[in-house]
Amino acid sequence: MRKLLYVISILIIASMLVTACQPAEAPETEEPEVEAPEVEEPEAPEAEVPEDVEEPEEEPEAEEPADGVVEIRWFVGLGAGSDAGTFEAQQAVVDGFNATHDDIELVLEIVDNEVAYDTLATQIAAGNAPDIVGPVGVRGRDTFYGAWLDLQPLIDSTGYDLSDFDPALVDFYNIEGQGQIGIPFASYPSFMIYNKDLFDEAGAAYPPAAYGEPYVWADGTESEWNMETLKELAMFMTVDANGNDATMEEFDPENIVQFGFQNQWTDPRGVGTFFGAGSFLAEDGETAQIPEEWQAAWKWTYDGWWTDWFIPNGPYGGAEFLQHGGGPFGSGNLAMVHNHTWFVAPWAIDGSFNFDFAATPSYNGTVTSKMHADTFQIPAGTDSPEEAFTVLAYMLSPEIAPQLLEIYGAQPARLSLQEGYFETYMENNYPGMEFNTNIIVDSVAYADNPNHESWMPSFLETTDKYNEFWNYLANTPDLDVDAEIEGLREDLQGIFDAYFEANP
Amino acid sequence: MTVAEFGKAVKDLKIKRAPLTKKQKREARWGFFFLSPWMIGFLLFYLLPMIASFAFSLTKFNPAVPDETVYIGFTNWIRAILRDEEVLLSFVRTIHFAAISLPVGMIFALFLAILLNSEHVIGKTIYRTLFYMPSMIPLVATVLIWNGVLNEYTGWINIIIERVTGITAVGTEGLRWLNDPDLVYIAYTMFGLWGVGNAMIIFLAAVQGVPTELYEAAEIDGASWFRRLFSVTLPLITPVIFYQLVLSVIASLQYFLAPFVLNQGTGSPEGKTRFYMVYFYKQSFSFFNMGYGATLAWLMFIVALIITIILFGTAKYWVYYATEEK
Repeated sequence: MRKLLYVISILIIASMLVTACQPAEAPETEEPEVEAPEVEEPEAPEAEVPEDVEEPEEEPEAEEPADGVVEIRWFVGLGAGSDAGTFEAQQAVVDGFNATHDDIELVLEIVDNEVAYDTLATQIAAGNAPDIVGPVGVRGRDTFYGAWLDLQPLIDSTGYDLSDFDPALVDFYNIEGQGQIGIPFASYPSFMIYNKDLFDEAGAAYPPAAYGEPYVWADGTESEWNMETLKELAMFMTVDANGNDATMEEFDPENIVQFGFQNQWTDPRGVGTFFGAGSFLAEDGETAQIPEEWQAAWKWTYDGWWTDWFIPNGPYGGAEFLQHGGGPFGSGNLAMVHNHTWFVAPWAIDGSFNFDFAATPSYNGTVTSKMHADTFQIPAGTDSPEEAFTVLAYMLSPEIAPQLLEIYGAQPARLSLQEGYFETYMENNYPGMEFNTNIIVDSVAYADNPNHESWMPSFLETTDKYNEFWNYLANTPDLDVDAEIEGLREDLQGIFDAYFEANP
Repeated sequence: MTVAEFGKAVKDLKIKRAPLTKKQKREARWGFFFLSPWMIGFLLFYLLPMIASFAFSLTKFNPAVPDETVYIGFTNWIRAILRDEEVLLSFVRTIHFAAISLPVGMIFALFLAILLNSEHVIGKTIYRTLFYMPSMIPLVATVLIWNGVLNEYTGWINIIIERVTGITAVGTEGLRWLNDPDLVYIAYTMFGLWGVGNAMIIFLAAVQGVPTELYEAAEIDGASWFRRLFSVTLPLITPVIFYQLVLSVIASLQYFLAPFVLNQGTGSPEGKTRFYMVYFYKQSFSFFNMGYGATLAWLMFIVALIITIILFGTAKYWVYYATEEK
């Protein structure tokens, strides 16, 4: 029996090897077999001939020729929108579209963020790409580098009006070699958010409500609102089980019950940008670098984790008293957080404590606000680019965009929608509470350039490498941080070199 | 047996084999009919994907941009076997962890089975249920629970150790179960012990299947409890131990979930948890190097096959089948 098993196993492997080695595997040759000849027609106009957009009779064949209704699949999951609280509101947008369009049926597909990247990749690889994907941030965009449709022919052929957008933001989506792969939808500036209740309890003054203002200590003395002041304040707000704060000698770092600050839910690039904008890729486009500001930010953070104790390190991050859907800040046991507008939503901050917004502190006299930007994009593999663009235009319209922006907690990219937007948003989500929403609008002026999520060679591998580095620092005390940083730089250079060797 | 003898035996077999009657043929057809769902499922969901994955291993294939797929021959295989040192390192880590977790898990399951089969234990059914229950909890939940339990600052294991023994167990100077390279495999092994319920049930069934007359005979001969355990119980349940061993080895080679849930595959601490399957996952589903990922999957399949064959080869020396003709 056992011999029989051996023989069967070997036969299976042999059959697979023989079958797999047959020379009929070239992927290009499979395409005509899978797709009927007329399916080639919708592919042509998307790349070259915008005039073909005008021929409605030809296109619907790709989807549902029987009743002439084209199905457009909207994939949600790469960024905001996969939290249960947003489902109903997104479906309402879909229902609204379907009620006003007879020739297109919009179908919503929400995939959990944890598996959305793999799911989308699988769909694209299987030739079953959705027709619209979004909201997509820069990370999502660059993860699927080369997979997005150039919208310029459709913008031209439909005469889509871009005058209501900041030209620089429009240009943000114009990628060399790929074209205009998106139209601005939303931006999410970052700023400080603080727990007013914890400050009141400690008798500490709130962080500055406007850029340029100093921090006023409880005794009336003023300090420039910079990283040093933030550190002092955060240490004061960090408390152990005996009620001692981190500035005291009796403070017990092994028994902390409340932390002072965190750059929550970001990566080393985001933390680095807190001190100043930069990039891992030097200006020559080939060399790996760690900007000075990032190095300073990382060392400041490392000290905050392991010697000054005002930032929850890796192990403390897993402690029960910091667990909440909105992370440590949502738990109510973190005094200050630096985060984006998308974080200011009931799913993250449930309103069980009072909170407000404050200015981002400066580093060497410069304030930098990390900026996230989202849009909806059309995969190049869609069978119905014109219909997808119709849906896209609907979503970005001044009438519908506010509905979506409300769902995602985003600042409108349309200039005409920006005024007073956040007052309404906060009143809807936190009725009766008052907020310093000016700081949100003001933070846009300090947006990071280059953006901290910009493209890098071997985007995914590079991201993985620096996250590995960051995880190590967050969980390991007594490291020589300079040496670790240099090690990271060398690792990144290796990845970049391999990329440029493969993509000369 | 010489080749000639083998040929003659085959010839004899042919001669002896009577043609199938109509009824037997009909039964055979029905047999194939009832087997066909499995065979079709095997072909569609196992064999064809395996063939496809081998084909992928010969390509540079990124599922995000499938149009750019190119045939590259055995480049991925050469990279995996000769150039990518992480392949070997991750495999060594996997074996290292398996060398700790596998024997501990099996011995613990067997220990529980023998314990819960003892006539001296009161409330055996309750204990069996309790020991089995954790294996009904999804592994992800188990890992997250243990992550809290083993937290170096707030986990109750460290707090208890410190309070009971006085040893500094809490904090950065204490027992950093999940962040100390020397402790992390022990911590992961502890997660695994929560899931021994299945193995325990199988061992329990095996232990209960040992004929009681053998124990009675051994007792009459004056054999002690340990003597009966090592000379009667264990030899008679070796087929089940062998079965568990094969399954456990394969499961160990595929160890993935705990490190992925705990640190998203970063390998923390110090790369110790970057096991082979974690590396495979990263290449395939994080970096979208699906062609290279398929190569890694095939390499693991080959390694697992070889190890399984070796295990089967050793079976004749230590596995006892009561019905087997020697």
